[in-house]
Amino acid sequence: MNDRSPLELLATHPFTADLSEDQQAHLATCARIAHYAPDDYLLREGQPATAFYLIVSGLVSIELFVPGHGPRPLQTVEGGSAVGWSWMLAPSRWEFDARALEPTTAVVFDAEQLRALFREDCCLGLRLVQRLLFVVTERLKAARLQLLDLYGPPRER
Amino acid sequence: MDHRALTTQVTGSPFVPLPFLVIGRRRETRDTVTLRLRSLCDATLHAQPGQFMMLSVYGIGEVPISISGLPRRPGELEHTIRAVGSVTRHLVALHRGDHIGVRGPFGTGWPLEAAYGQDVLLIAGGLGLAPLRSALVAILRERWRYRQVVVLYGARSPADLLYRRDLSGWQQRAKITVYVTVDHPDPSWRGQVGVVPNLIRQVTALFEPTNTVAMICGPEIMMRFTVRELQKHGIPDERIFLSLERNMQCGIGLCGHCQFGPFFLCKDGPVLPYSRLAPYRDIREL
Repeated sequence: MNDRSPLELLATHPFTADLSEDQQAHLATCARIAHYAPDDYLLREGQPATAFYLIVSGLVSIELFVPGHGPRPLQTVEGGSAVGWSWMLAPSRWEFDARALEPTTAVVFDAEQLRALFREDCCLGLRLVQRLLFVVTERLKAARLQLLDLYGPPRER
Repeated sequence: MDHRALTTQVTGSPFVPLPFLVIGRRRETRDTVTLRLRSLCDATLHAQPGQFMMLSVYGIGEVPISISGLPRRPGELEHTIRAVGSVTRHLVALHRGDHIGVRGPFGTGWPLEAAYGQDVLLIAGGLGLAPLRSALVAILRERWRYRQVVVLYGARSPADLLYRRDLSGWQQRAKITVYVTVDHPDPSWRGQVGVVPNLIRQVTALFEPTNTVAMICGPEIMMRFTVRELQKHGIPDERIFLSLERNMQCGIGLCGHCQFGPFFLCKDGPVLPYSRLAPYRDIREL
């Protein structure tokens, strides 16, 4: 895994695997591979959102720091998924923390270059935004289910 | 795959509780215990994983409780019970040497034989792991009959996880893949956080959809979203089995309290293939 290039990883990652080779190659120009040890932060709440992450392997906790309670995990994201969409929306600051729970490898895109690429190739931009919207929808659905407290006490008997 | 409901042959009169002795008690969580029971009247029960018994505390009442393990000896039963009401609070408070009334077994079991030679997905939410544990124990006894065996389990918090020692033991000993997630982690939790349906996409490489049998037990909303996720990954409805719970009382389809559409879940269920349940899924009055 460690010696694979961004392009090789984009060719197999579920988020980008079915893009054309040209599109993958364009994306690879603004990507690098990063490795995170457990407890390393990928991103922190309030800081400028300058990157987009495709998680290749490992486990990442999306969380909020609550004063007096420490980090409160809201959801975990595993290999094959994506982290971070604040870079697409003004004012482009992270809304949450993302912290590696296990050794984690990610393809990390430079947000500024990615935005420029989307302006240049609107078709690619649209396809990636659609995928990101799918990720957002899945996260929203999961968050709504968590709100229901499904495993709470059942009816009395 | 056989879609017919199985109707259980009940030992003796189905309405008369048989006396059982509590021979073991293990605390699982703050409000949940597993009781091991032994018949006091030489009753030979042929309870199948997925079926349930009516357990009664004398003078208090009776509740349906799924079988959560396989008997170590003939005439023994194992049940995991959460204290949520009057009867279950009394059941959870029982100790070794206490007596209890037992009727059953009732209902349909998990399709373990139909799953021979197949990949098996066991998907549980909360206390729903208890009925699936009996299926898993049965699978472990004949592990060679099955291909991939994957257990996906979601709970409210780490403190609410059932069978914690079993979970890690199964994974290490029996070539079973186990994924666990919780909704509300505590600071010590280093595992996954989120809902059970999210786990399915993480294991898609492990199973072949048209050769997979999925068995699901948990809150109905969790099962609904889990079924949708399984369908997305190509598992046919007739290969998805759910254990449904309603107000089981008589256990033999006479009183009608557990009716769900055309089914009496105490007799035609609790385990049914989704292909039979699907026509009724959008009828909110059910």
